[in-house]
Amino acid sequence: MQELLLIQGTRPDMGLQRKAAQLAETGKLQLRILSVAKAEAATADDSAIAKGLVAETNNARVILAPATVRLRCIMPMLAYRLQAGLTADCTGLEITETGQLLQTRPAFGNSLMATIETLSAVQMATVRPGTFPADPNGEYPQTEEWEACFSDAVKCIEQQRQTGDQGITQAKIIVSGGAGIGSKEGFDKLKAFAHKIGAALGASRNAVDLGYAPYSAQVGITGATVSPRLYIAVGISGAVQHLAGMSGAETVIAINQDPKAPIFQYADYGIVGDWETIINQLEELL
Amino acid sequence: MKQIIACVKLVPAAAEVALDGQFRLKRDSTSLQLNIADLSAVEAALGLKEADTQVTVLSMGPAKGEALLQELFALGVDRVVLLSDRALAGADSLATARALAAGVRCLGEFSCILCGRRALDAETGQIPGQLAAALDIPAVTNGQQLEKADNGLSCRRLLETAVETLTVELPCVVSLCEYSYTLRLPSILGRRRAKDKQVEILTAADIGLVAEQCGLQGSKTKVVHVDTKAPGLRKCSYCNPEALCGIIKGVQ
Repeated sequence: MQELLLIQGTRPDMGLQRKAAQLAETGKLQLRILSVAKAEAATADDSAIAKGLVAETNNARVILAPATVRLRCIMPMLAYRLQAGLTADCTGLEITETGQLLQTRPAFGNSLMATIETLSAVQMATVRPGTFPADPNGEYPQTEEWEACFSDAVKCIEQQRQTGDQGITQAKIIVSGGAGIGSKEGFDKLKAFAHKIGAALGASRNAVDLGYAPYSAQVGITGATVSPRLYIAVGISGAVQHLAGMSGAETVIAINQDPKAPIFQYADYGIVGDWETIINQLEELL
Repeated sequence: MKQIIACVKLVPAAAEVALDGQFRLKRDSTSLQLNIADLSAVEAALGLKEADTQVTVLSMGPAKGEALLQELFALGVDRVVLLSDRALAGADSLATARALAAGVRCLGEFSCILCGRRALDAETGQIPGQLAAALDIPAVTNGQQLEKADNGLSCRRLLETAVETLTVELPCVVSLCEYSYTLRLPSILGRRRAKDKQVEILTAADIGLVAEQCGLQGSKTKVVHVDTKAPGLRKCSYCNPEALCGIIKGVQ
């Protein structure tokens, strides 16, 4: 029987594990779960891990992995070695009964979602971590530990733990700014407001690219995925890239000058107007 | 170090880009800019340059990118090679990496290949790894602070919850994060020297590829459908600051 091979790393995605089990059933594939966590700890050389994994793919029809930094290096290398199609950072997966995988991901920077099919015998995809909900009661095949790998072509000399990025993914309230904030000074003001109401500061990719906010604040497909109780989007137009990172929020408030900004279609509450005036009003009221 | 190769992509400058009937980017209709992360790759390459080092920039894309690439000479880049051919258009990351690897093989011996970690348009971030696999050399992705080390390079790798200091053997591929370096400005001397230099344009045939290996034909992924709406639509009630205040207080 052909396999659906799920590769987990040091940051396993249990929601993806659940999704993989569903996909395997529908696509009539055998689910196999392989963890490369030990290999990741043993070597910093992702190319050696990818090379070693080739031998594990003989029966694979589908190979999935969470889109962590390291698996996003390992999977492309494996895909090249298998000459298999690979879709990056998917936010949706479906499968036909014949095992054809349909992969959905935001595309081309504006409001577009692309559905992608793979033409090679092996179909590969990395999946945005946290995209699918986990099921603590789910039953899965035992995870195989894979560690058949040693290389010092890339060596880790030092590792410094960083806690800075945790703030945004665990915050109850996030105040997020976009290009509409207009300046770094504007962001300072937004940050002060965020602190005042006990919120973490987020940013859209445009705002980060413009240098208004640090990358660690970026919410969206190439930044953090967040699911706070309240997400306040200020001066954010609502590109798919951004929406993919915050659609899990319980309540979304949008503040934007442009009544036609897509963000309003993805918000529960909205105010159309100048963000600074509105934030000033809110500061007085709170 | 003999030769350092920096891979750059020219991406559409406009936020809104048009797609053709096969969901490919219409690259002819928009103006181009250098991909932001690739600016760091070029600067890091120039920073590592020694007296006998050649810095080569390799790019793939439409011929109209030539003018933008020409400007890189004024910064101290020694050679610019643009892979440009109708046959190369519409490539997914696998076919792109195959073409870039074929291009690299035409450039002669090299110490390292530096890339941006992802492109602003398609954002797959898969090229650095796939290029390294095609050339069978190690790669480090998400890099910052590249320096010369005893037997190769040292750099920092940004992981989700940690920053690692790594050493990597040569030859290798390193992909760099946006803003890890600020690209230098051209000097007057640089501008003068740039006048005598020309971007070399190579076709698929020049780098030894046949049509089946390139572009849309050589790709293993296919966009079958495009939706203009993201999931997660909500019904928006428009309100005043007073009402918002109540909602915020309710969560606090």
